[in-house]
Amino acid sequence: MTGTTDIESVETFRARSKAWIEANLPLLSEPWVETRELQRLLFDNGYAGISYPKEYGGAGLTIEHQKAFYDIVAEQDRQVPSELMVSIGIIGPTILDNGSQELKQRFLPPLLRGDEVWMQLLSEPRGGSDMAGTTCRLKRDGDTYFLNGSKMWSSGAYHADYGLCLCRSDWDAPKHRGLSTIAVPLQGNPPGLTIERTRAVSGEAGHFCEEFFDDMPLPADNLIGEENAGWSVAQSLLFHERNAVGGIGMGYLGGWRRGGGAGAFTGIDVGPLREAAERRGVGGAVGTMIADAVISSVVDPLTSDRITLGLQLGTHKGHRGSLSKLQSSLSLHGVARAALAIEGAAALVWDGDDVQLDNAGTSWLAARGSTIAGGTSEMQRNTISERLLGLPREPAFDRDIPFNEVLRNLGKF
Amino acid sequence: MRLDLTEDQEFFRATTRKFLESEVPLATVRSLYDTVDGFDRTWWQQAAELGWTSLFVPESLGGGSLSGAPATDAVIVAEEMGRLVSPGPFLAVNVVAAALAWFGSDAQQAQVLAGVLSGESIATWAFAELDGRWDAASVVTTAGLDGDSVVLDGVKAYVEAAGVADWFLVTARTGEGLTQVLVPADAPGVTVTRGRSIDMTRRFGKVALSQVRLPASAIVGKAGTAGPAVERQLHLALALQSAEMVGVAERTLEFTLEYGRERFAFGRPIVSYQALKHRIADMAVTIEGSKAVTDALATAIDTDDPKVALLASVAKAYVGEHCLDIVDDCVQITGGIGVTWEHDVHLYNRRAAVDRAMYGSPEEHKALLATNTEGAA
Ligand SMILES: Cc1cc2nc3c(=O)[nH]c(=O)nc-3n(C[C@H](O)[C@H](O)[C@H](O)COP(=O)(O)OP(=O)(O)OC[C@H]3O[C@@H](n4cnc5c(N)ncnc54)[C@H](O)[C@@H]3O)c2cc1C
Repeated sequence: MTGTTDIESVETFRARSKAWIEANLPLLSEPWVETRELQRLLFDNGYAGISYPKEYGGAGLTIEHQKAFYDIVAEQDRQVPSELMVSIGIIGPTILDNGSQELKQRFLPPLLRGDEVWMQLLSEPRGGSDMAGTTCRLKRDGDTYFLNGSKMWSSGAYHADYGLCLCRSDWDAPKHRGLSTIAVPLQGNPPGLTIERTRAVSGEAGHFCEEFFDDMPLPADNLIGEENAGWSVAQSLLFHERNAVGGIGMGYLGGWRRGGGAGAFTGIDVGPLREAAERRGVGGAVGTMIADAVISSVVDPLTSDRITLGLQLGTHKGHRGSLSKLQSSLSLHGVARAALAIEGAAALVWDGDDVQLDNAGTSWLAARGSTIAGGTSEMQRNTISERLLGLPREPAFDRDIPFNEVLRNLGKF
Repeated sequence: MRLDLTEDQEFFRATTRKFLESEVPLATVRSLYDTVDGFDRTWWQQAAELGWTSLFVPESLGGGSLSGAPATDAVIVAEEMGRLVSPGPFLAVNVVAAALAWFGSDAQQAQVLAGVLSGESIATWAFAELDGRWDAASVVTTAGLDGDSVVLDGVKAYVEAAGVADWFLVTARTGEGLTQVLVPADAPGVTVTRGRSIDMTRRFGKVALSQVRLPASAIVGKAGTAGPAVERQLHLALALQSAEMVGVAERTLEFTLEYGRERFAFGRPIVSYQALKHRIADMAVTIEGSKAVTDALATAIDTDDPKVALLASVAKAYVGEHCLDIVDDCVQITGGIGVTWEHDVHLYNRRAAVDRAMYGSPEEHKALLATNTEGAA
């Protein structure tokens, strides 16, 4: 991503992207185009993985080019395959950072083409925040690894092709030194794998799943990074995840800016709140809630833009993405709460015998998702205070002792 | 302050910081508390030499910005002033300089800007009145037209540096519309009541105008049509104020962390406790957000962006609220010494509280945002 001299200027790229987007990408108001098909369209025209190196199927340009492209997408209300945010914004960059040449050549082009969709296998029934405490076992036998244990909350595992799985390969080493990451195929009923969809809080079949691994065989070539070096892979994954959620860096993919209309600061749509307030004629405290939503809708994207710029210029380093992740997830929760308050009883009660899901009440039930998924707000605050501001780390009782001596969950976990 | 400063701007920032640190360190700020004016006029002229008063003044009159983007330049100074709760009517003087540069006649510019540039004279902004609101509807002072004269009647309040000002840019009402008039402090009928604030150095006063008769050439722009001009000045005031609050908040957090790293309780530094760490993390978020929205506002002013009014209200509502909350929580983290005269945090609390209220409170700006998408004014 250096050597800007021999790279197409952002201006010419912007101009040609604009023309291409106008001619080719469907509008948000048009029928929904299937994710993989849409990604294939981007790939075939050189707009998939804009900041990925060419040798792995990317466009070989910079994050600035990527940002230009997705800004046009947002301005023009165009569809992009935002369901691939995890693959392209998180897993791809993690493989780029950590994979061998062969691994990158094997996995990145199909990922960018939309042929292989990825998701993350990190959280477990045992816990999600303490990711390095994984109790999934990975054991090598010749050219094959065998995986045992279970993962939980895995978004989209039922339709994804691969999961990036963090597991424990050495139980005698201290917590962080016995981890490995490996690509786990999910489709076609591979032996040793059971996937169950979790029922979401709305009552519907959830987007997330639980996986059970029972001596699941995996080729040794699927290992991402070295054996027992899984923690550094996981850290780079978390870094990209925060960025993707905060709309920063390689994670600037337009998904979260969707639906803002031309020139609007997007991400949060205040329109429905205003309409509800007008309809119901509630003043005072409600006005403050609307104003707070307006403020978030303006400040959050400006903040992530500032951090993106800072990372580019080098004035910002490391874990700044946590600022945006924390900010935007709190805002989303705040807006869901405002909608609940402003819409009142009508958001919770309806006529007829059918369950209805399209209401502020049901959205409220899932509103904490944003402050839990991708590292809870508390974990972001730990990262910001410790990694960004250098404050003393939390005392921990599980470091520097063999992992099999560490205290774990009591009872049923 | 933008991340992508030009070399000139970076140099300006560095010299501004050095100047403030050496000429008006906190010890000096404390001693200025006991002075009537709150700042030293000779020092102000030195500041003017550094370019503090020239940014909005046209080059033809000896001024000039660093980058062609004067609001972006000016927020650099404002942020540095916030870091050291510095004295001096930087905001008020620059808002008037900008108003004259943008809307003033050649004669008005020639009459006022040379003195402002050199720091010898002080021009200040007289918008709000006794009810302490910065919106057009609250202006009841009248500017009556009488032949070749304009006659002012009313009381302007919350006027920064009123006691030392040579010129007041007075906003008054002519029928339905607003009129801005450049009033010399010694004009017959002008009575200034000096005042103080809880800030160590920032003084505000009242300006009573009783049948103040001036030639019509004292009107800035055209009588009855100053609404948009006043809005633009308010946007600039809010940008400078937001930048100052960014400096206040960031510096307060810095010294609070320095203190908290060295202060131990139960065998560990107080800032190792998660109850404090998590609040501090939230402060880091809102400081980053405050910087982002302040920069965007300054840029919007420099580029005449139609979103400027929205940004101005969002900036004030967001930065105004979080800056004081950060300082307030830093007092809590500092503990008992934080509510003494001896500890510096009150200097920041004073400035943060005054900034929060002036030019419209976060609550007032939220009320605007709640009902219309346009924001300030
Ligand atoms: C919508 C959604 C999608 C998700 N998608 C995925 C996915 O695709 N892949 C995946 O692997 N996981 C996924 N997750 C799981 C998510 O990452 C975890 O839920 C999350 O990390 C928290 O883990 P937990 O639920 O086990 O809670 P715990 O880790 O048990 O935490 C419980 C509470 O304790 C707090 N806590 C824990 N440790 C600390 C600490 N050190 N300091 C302060 N407080 C602490 C937490 O903040 C939380 O409030 C998803 C979750 C949601 C809601």
